[in-house]
Amino acid sequence: MASFTATSMSMISLAKPSLVPSARISSPNSVSLSIKGRNFPSITLQPTGRRFQVTCAAKQETVQKVCDIVKKQLALPEGSSVTGESKFAALGADSLDTVEIVMGLEEEFGISVEEESAQSITTVQEAADMIDKLLESKC
Amino acid sequence: MSSLLDKARLMMNIHCLGRNLVTASSSLHCVQLPAQKEAHFWYVLPDEIKDTNLLNQYFEILSPSEKESVFRMTGELLKKRAILARALVRTTLARYQINCQIDPKALKFKKNRYGKPEVDLQYTEDWKLPQLRFNISHTSSLIACGVTVGSPIGIDVEEKQRRLKNDVLAFARRYFSPDEIEMLTKIADPELRRLELIKLWTLKEAYVKAVGKGFSNLPFNTFTFQFGNRLKTGIHLRPHVMSKAHEITVEPPDDSKNISGNWQFVLLELYGSHYAAICIEQESTNRGKGSIPVNLMLRKTIPFVEDECIFGTDKAVVIGGLTTLLEC
Repeated sequence: MASFTATSMSMISLAKPSLVPSARISSPNSVSLSIKGRNFPSITLQPTGRRFQVTCAAKQETVQKVCDIVKKQLALPEGSSVTGESKFAALGADSLDTVEIVMGLEEEFGISVEEESAQSITTVQEAADMIDKLLESKC
Repeated sequence: MSSLLDKARLMMNIHCLGRNLVTASSSLHCVQLPAQKEAHFWYVLPDEIKDTNLLNQYFEILSPSEKESVFRMTGELLKKRAILARALVRTTLARYQINCQIDPKALKFKKNRYGKPEVDLQYTEDWKLPQLRFNISHTSSLIACGVTVGSPIGIDVEEKQRRLKNDVLAFARRYFSPDEIEMLTKIADPELRRLELIKLWTLKEAYVKAVGKGFSNLPFNTFTFQFGNRLKTGIHLRPHVMSKAHEITVEPPDDSKNISGNWQFVLLELYGSHYAAICIEQESTNRGKGSIPVNLMLRKTIPFVEDECIFGTDKAVVIGGLTTLLEC
């Protein structure tokens, strides 16, 4: 399908690339940032023990797992960008998708989500935060 | 009101369309308001709309925040769907204004305190706007807008072929009421069971959207749908024999003071490929006298281009709920 005319698209103002910090994720536990060409030391998440790795997942792992579940539920093509900021609705999820995603998350993380909480989740990050909070109470 | 630049751009678009149109709003066919106890159901089929000039025309009637929402959608198909949904709402509601005087772009919307979108009637000084209520639902292949005057309305559309990622019964156990789980469990054929689940889902969605208080205030497993013969309500029949003679009723949650009202349901099958559920509130004075059918008018539309009255055709079949389909 043809894309829209230039006039319609002129509303989008893109952030200037040079000011946006670029993060290179070399491994799930290590992120290095570079802004304007200056490199900052890598930040590495230390695993704190096997038990914590399994039941209290590091936030990044949680986000990644949520992304995977969302991608699977919405049957997104390989290479689709799904990040913490991704809104379910913007990815094309309707309410049936959302409740299926919640079911998938409950299964994956062994948690139980209240109806009130389920409704308040609109982004991947919100889902991950909720999961981490529920997992924390289990540790 | 449109600026000169808007008018110029509009004329350019119209020339590109090559049609004999004067202004965008005059090419919207005006219609009479729904009467009491009447619901109008308008829908578009996205696959029929490929003209980028037409899509631009739809885009242009959106508000700035609606346009932003469109841009946030990922991919062309989702953007197109978002544009069509908002354009359908605006053009549909604009048709009901007296003499079609209202530019679809001029309509303003607000949200009730639970987040349900509604027409904001406050901004008009000169003309008295009818108390239009609406609700929309979209799938990738069909986008619908239901309209009433005065009655809260909720609609939901789903593709019949929609596959759940979860097992049907596992899903039902997680989200539906005990009686509904039992009903589904009794259906031996997995395909029939899946179809019944989708019908139930659309009914539940339509109900919660009509009530308009959000899903957490009306969790799906707190209310039960029942299909009965209108002479003997409350009898559980096997769902796949549900016919248009069968009334659909909902047994509300125990905490019913939260949800009052006499809710009526219609379940449609469209093109043999979609289920559509419509829920409206009837006057409470009818309670106890037996149910009065919902009067329903169906229209397929390509806004600014053509409308088609759906009546007396198997494109739309009532498969549940006491309904009278109206000729337009």
